[in-house]
Amino acid sequence: MPGIDECLLEAMRLPGARGAALVDWTSGLALGTVGEAPGGDHETTAAEAAELARLAAEHGAFTAGTGADGQPPVEDVIVSNRDSYHLLRFVDTSFDSSVFLHLWLGREEGNLALARIRLGEMAARLVLG
Amino acid sequence: MTMVGTPPPLPVRDRAAARDRGAGAGALSPMLGRLAEERATGVLVREHGTLHLTEGRVVHAESPHAPGLDVLLTAHGTLASAAWQQATAQADGPAEAARLLLEAGLLPSGALELCHLDALYDAGYFALAPSSVPGRFRYGPPPRSGALPSVPVVALERETLRRRLLLHRTWPDPATDTSPLIRADPGTTAPVTARRRAVLDRVDGVRTAAQIARDLGRQAFHTLVDVRRLAAAGLVRPVPTVPAPPPRPAPPTLPLTVTDPDIALLKRLRDALEAL
Repeated sequence: MPGIDECLLEAMRLPGARGAALVDWTSGLALGTVGEAPGGDHETTAAEAAELARLAAEHGAFTAGTGADGQPPVEDVIVSNRDSYHLLRFVDTSFDSSVFLHLWLGREEGNLALARIRLGEMAARLVLG
Repeated sequence: MTMVGTPPPLPVRDRAAARDRGAGAGALSPMLGRLAEERATGVLVREHGTLHLTEGRVVHAESPHAPGLDVLLTAHGTLASAAWQQATAQADGPAEAARLLLEAGLLPSGALELCHLDALYDAGYFALAPSSVPGRFRYGPPPRSGALPSVPVVALERETLRRRLLLHRTWPDPATDTSPLIRADPGTTAPVTARRRAVLDRVDGVRTAAQIARDLGRQAFHTLVDVRRLAAAGLVRPVPTVPAPPPRPAPPTLPLTVTDPDIALLKRLRDALEAL
């Protein structure tokens, strides 16, 4: 059963992974970080990624069609830029929380489809064991 | 066209300014800064909460204003209440109880670490709130906490300052943090998210944000954020604690100096953040 650090280290084993973090989107706090961050600052990256995650999680345009099972309607947010991808995966916890995994992926070596599937599996294992 | 009210951005600290002034622990509590420097082990009791230190790092925090690890874990059935009670009966403190639950396979370590850090930063925020009485530190043996993550004092202080700034930017009136809350009639009907709807449904003129957080099994700070957003949207206001004084006739000469408390508070927060 992985803890937070093991989960982030596992994310770093994905091809092209540059950095990863577990972030609370209400406060913008990084609860764990590993590898690099854009600009070299995990704290600022976490606060900025949290803004994006919160907008996706709260605005009606993205949350329509919510199931009644209480799961967060948004699964992930993907930002592609010239040389990298940012993949934000919401973690569905049985307790109350507002966290997501943030993976920063180099575009040359990274495989977005694979990373998306794997990050989803890691998010589930993190809280379900 | 409808305008969507976007909350202000989450604060980040100015690293360059922080370097210029020299970073160090103790911005919020000089005593805590000294304890971190001497790598002390023991319990710091402050007016609004308690910090447990091991070798100068924060391993556990408690506050009457924040739900504990037990509430977060049991409120939504992550863990059965009976299992928690059984573990605490055998253990010396909540951290060791958590270790027993982990070893028994009743909790995944990721979920436990996450709840532990959530509870630590949440209670730590209140423990480091300004207090009217000095804190007391009791040196003592380290708790048998097992492998739960600990947090450097400076990280907890930095996060606490950032959280104060986040609340202030969301809605500058701190009265909703501590007063009983009552619904207000908003001028507009802005949509309310499901999370904030749950908070709004529990606003009854009696409960405070901390009590609503406990009812919902949520972190108290998260609830303070939701309540301030609801206040900013005009949906919630604090119940006045003292009746407003009768209006007095204006003095014959009005002072010409105008002080804006919001600006002053923002400047103090900025200075404190930069000093880290």
